[in-house]
Amino acid sequence: MDEATRQKIDSEVQSHDVVLFMKGTPQAPRCGFSATVAGILDELVGKYKTIDVLSDGKIREAIKEYSDWPTIPQLYIKGQFVGGCDLVREMYENGELHEALGLKADAVELPKIAISPGAASALREALEEATSQEPDGGHHIRVEIGADFQHALSISDKKPRDVAVTAGALTLLFDPASARRASGLSIDYVDGPDGPAFKLENPNEPPRVKSVSVKDLAAKLRENSKLELFDVRSQKERDQAQVAGSKLLDRPAQDYIMTLDKSTPLFFMCHHGQRSQQAAGFFLSHGFSNVYSVSGGIDAWSLEVDSSVPRY
Amino acid sequence: MTTALGGTGASISTQIRDAILVGLPGAEVQVTPGSPGHFGISVRWAEFADKNRLTCQRLVYRAIAHLMAGDRAPVHAVDRLETSV
Repeated sequence: MDEATRQKIDSEVQSHDVVLFMKGTPQAPRCGFSATVAGILDELVGKYKTIDVLSDGKIREAIKEYSDWPTIPQLYIKGQFVGGCDLVREMYENGELHEALGLKADAVELPKIAISPGAASALREALEEATSQEPDGGHHIRVEIGADFQHALSISDKKPRDVAVTAGALTLLFDPASARRASGLSIDYVDGPDGPAFKLENPNEPPRVKSVSVKDLAAKLRENSKLELFDVRSQKERDQAQVAGSKLLDRPAQDYIMTLDKSTPLFFMCHHGQRSQQAAGFFLSHGFSNVYSVSGGIDAWSLEVDSSVPRY
Repeated sequence: MTTALGGTGASISTQIRDAILVGLPGAEVQVTPGSPGHFGISVRWAEFADKNRLTCQRLVYRAIAHLMAGDRAPVHAVDRLETSV
C-alpha cells in the first residue's frame, strides 16, 4: 500500500463517524454481504459514509492491508474497525452495534398488532402442542419480519432484547428490528389452496409485484370479468394463444392504465412469467400499488386451467 | 461435470483446512462448501480463550488470506465463520 492511499483511507476513517467500505452503493449494492451491512446501517443511522471499492482498485486492495481483514464489506465506527458482514450482523442482533453507534438499543415503540379470533385460537393451539411436547421450555409466539418483509411465525424462548406485545390475549415476541417493522401488522388465519394458513398483512411493506397463480387468476376472472388483465406478448403470439378477457399491452393500453386509480389491481401475463414481471415492475415504479404478475404465464394457463389454449 | 465440480470444491476445502492448521496449530477445523467459491468455516481453538471475536476471526482470515487474494481467488467468500474455544 502506498503512502498516499494510506493517508486517503486514514482521512476517510477519521473524518466520518461511520464509514463503510463496500462493493457498490447502498442504493445499488454489488454484493449480498455489502447489501446486508448497508441495510443494517440504513435502519440504524440516517447518514453514513460509503466508499465503493469497485470504483477504486487501489483502495480495494489497500483497505485489506489497512484493516488486516481480507474481505469487503468493512465497517469503521469512530475510527475503529468493527468487522465484516458476519460480525456486524451479530452485533446488530445482540445490541452491541447500537451501543457502538451511540444508540439506545431498547428505544423501540411497542407495535400495535391485530390478531383475528381464528388466528388467535390457531396460535394458542400451536403453543399448547409445543408445551405438551416440551413442558420445560419457555414457549412464546415469535414474529420475525425480515428487511425484505418476509414474515415468519415460530415458537421460541424469550431472548433478552425481545419486545413483547400483547394482542388477542396472546403475547407475541419480536426482536427489535422486527418490532420496528411491525406497527399495524395484522395476523389472520384463512383457508388457502393447501388448507388453512396464517396470513400476515403489514402496512409498512413497500409495494412490490405480487405473484398470482393461473388458478387464482381464473377464479378472479370468474368473479370479475372486467379485471384489468394485460398481455405483454406480441400480437403474433396472442394470435396463437390467449386468455379470454386479456388485452394487448400496446401504447394506447399503457396510456389507459396511467389514467386509472393507483390502487386499481393490475394483472400482467406473458408466455412464461418473465416479461410480465418486468411490465408489472414498470407500473409499480409509476406508483401503482396493486400489481400482479401471472406466474407461469399463458403456458401454465394451458397446462393447469384451459387445455384448449394451445401451447407453443 | 458434477464430479469435476465436487472434486474442486473438496480440494479447496482441504486447502482452507490445511492453511488454518498452519496458522492455528492444534485447532479443530470444519469447512462446509456452499455455492461455488463460498464456504462456511468453524474453528475451535484453545488460544481463542482470551481474545475477542474480531481478533479470533482475524486470526482465521489471516491464515487463509492467500486463498482469498485476487480476482481469481479459490475462495470468493466466507458465508459463515464461527470461532469457539
